[in-house]
Amino acid sequence: MRYLRLLSIFYKNSILKELEYRANFIANVFMSILWLGWAIVGVSVFFLHRDKMGDWTYPEVLMVVGLFTFFNGVMEALLRPNVGAVIEQIRDGTFDFVLTKPVNAQFIASLRSIIVWRLVDAVIGIGLIAYALGQLRVTPTPTQIGFFVVMLLSGTAIVYAIWLVMVSFAFWFVRIDNITELFYAFYEAGRYPVTIYRGVVRVVLTYIVPIAFVTTFPASALLGRIDQTTTLVGFAFAIGLLIASNRFWKFALRYYASASS
Amino acid sequence: MPGSIPIRVQNLCKYYQVHQKEPGLVGSLKSFVKRKYADVKAVDDVSFTIDAGEIVGFLGPNGAGKTTTLKVLAGLLYPTNGVARVLDFTPSERRAAFLRQITLVMGQKQQLAWDLPPMETFLVNAAIYEIPDDQFKKTLAELTELLELAPLLKKQVRKLSLGERMKCELTAALLHRPKVLFLDEPTIGLDVTMQTKIRQFVAEYNARYRATIILTSHYMADVTALCQRVIVIDHGKLLYDGDLKALAEKIAPHKLVRVEFSQALDGQRLEEFGEVVKMRGQRAELLVPRDATSDVAARMLAQLPIADVTIEEPPIEDVITRVFEQAARARAERGEAEEEEE
Repeated sequence: MRYLRLLSIFYKNSILKELEYRANFIANVFMSILWLGWAIVGVSVFFLHRDKMGDWTYPEVLMVVGLFTFFNGVMEALLRPNVGAVIEQIRDGTFDFVLTKPVNAQFIASLRSIIVWRLVDAVIGIGLIAYALGQLRVTPTPTQIGFFVVMLLSGTAIVYAIWLVMVSFAFWFVRIDNITELFYAFYEAGRYPVTIYRGVVRVVLTYIVPIAFVTTFPASALLGRIDQTTTLVGFAFAIGLLIASNRFWKFALRYYASASS
Repeated sequence: MPGSIPIRVQNLCKYYQVHQKEPGLVGSLKSFVKRKYADVKAVDDVSFTIDAGEIVGFLGPNGAGKTTTLKVLAGLLYPTNGVARVLDFTPSERRAAFLRQITLVMGQKQQLAWDLPPMETFLVNAAIYEIPDDQFKKTLAELTELLELAPLLKKQVRKLSLGERMKCELTAALLHRPKVLFLDEPTIGLDVTMQTKIRQFVAEYNARYRATIILTSHYMADVTALCQRVIVIDHGKLLYDGDLKALAEKIAPHKLVRVEFSQALDGQRLEEFGEVVKMRGQRAELLVPRDATSDVAARMLAQLPIADVTIEEPPIEDVITRVFEQAARARAERGEAEEEEE
């Protein structure tokens, strides 16, 4: 309850902050639409020459693109601003004020701010998924929708855990811009179904930097390509990562050096 | 009863691993490939206790370990060794019940949201500390009156002056009425009027809530105005812990004798009365051993053409400087020639 109240105050403040800079908002709505356009153009060009990408048809791939856009929106709205802020705070030492508050530091560090207009991406992503379903003339069964929701939540948890681990590294290295860039490079690969990749790349994308869980698996769930076991494995995997990342964060906190006086 | 002593520190040590780098590009490349680490003893075997309601000044040059000690007490840093207890909590565990009762104010860092009016940050803190509405209003009204905040509450923080911002920082840090305050250079960069105001405010808060306060400052005026007791730290070691006045007596075995002559001297004889620190025209300042002050003054009156004479404690800044000089000399004698930072 208390945390929900805090969350609403945090978000209210973030929105107030955004409203201070209006031009930014409009520019970014355009950016979102432009990027989505590019993604669709890319996929369309591919399908002009081939009927299938791996064993995925055009609308099925669009669904993956939709999920990619959705998570991109979630990350940009919820994760990136916080991660950026934490890195900045670690660098100049104002993270002190987070640590001296009687509230879970991980909570403040990871949910302190939101960039609302980035959620436009998430909405567009959902729209694209719905459109793709329409094209396929498929109505998912309740079970499939259930699997999809579980996979979606697991995907969110996995992405969050990865970000938390990346932030934790900042306690030692302070500047981790390149680590986050590296993650983005991997995330870009999630734009297409991971089954089109072969061998090592696919293993890496499934288990090392588990992008597959974020885009491909939820899409598969909606298409009825995933059974109960896989869903449960994905869920367990997400929980495991959450716990591990929390441990790592706590461990890393010990190395906070509190820059300058 | 141990509960009555809010701050207890025993043999506290905090070492940092700092990687060392030779200057220049070659040095940078070397340290990129293989880093050499050295332990810096920021706090080295420090012990003290502070009673409820005390205001204690931490003195020491830059890099002496004052801020590090404060940060250990506020739970920001894990001690390398030794024990720190604040309000019967171990600070580094950062229990909510502990954090609710303390606050940390740093002159060089700010917690106010830059783009928003300070009121927004106050509201966030009210929610974080779960301050009931009526108490929040009451405390805020009190602080607003004490610090004359009324015209500032609705301006964006980025439009406030440094002094105004500091007043709001203090407010944000004190809304939950903490029992223990760690103030790290709260007056840095402020003009004299504002410094005085902040000082008065700290004294007032201390009197009103019987709060325990540790203050570090580079302005001796802050310390002399607020603290009876000082703890002097240099190179991580505790040099002195006790009454501020007694420090002057212990460290500065001299008093300052100012004399004004009725006519110019023949240029001789002044050295035999004491160490001449200043000589300008017909005025002079001498350092005279504490016990001999009255003798010397009498002899001077008898032997020199004196118009006026005053005897004073040497300025506290000089006393402190002397403490650090003595410590440095002692270190040199022990042969501790290891290269120090800064």
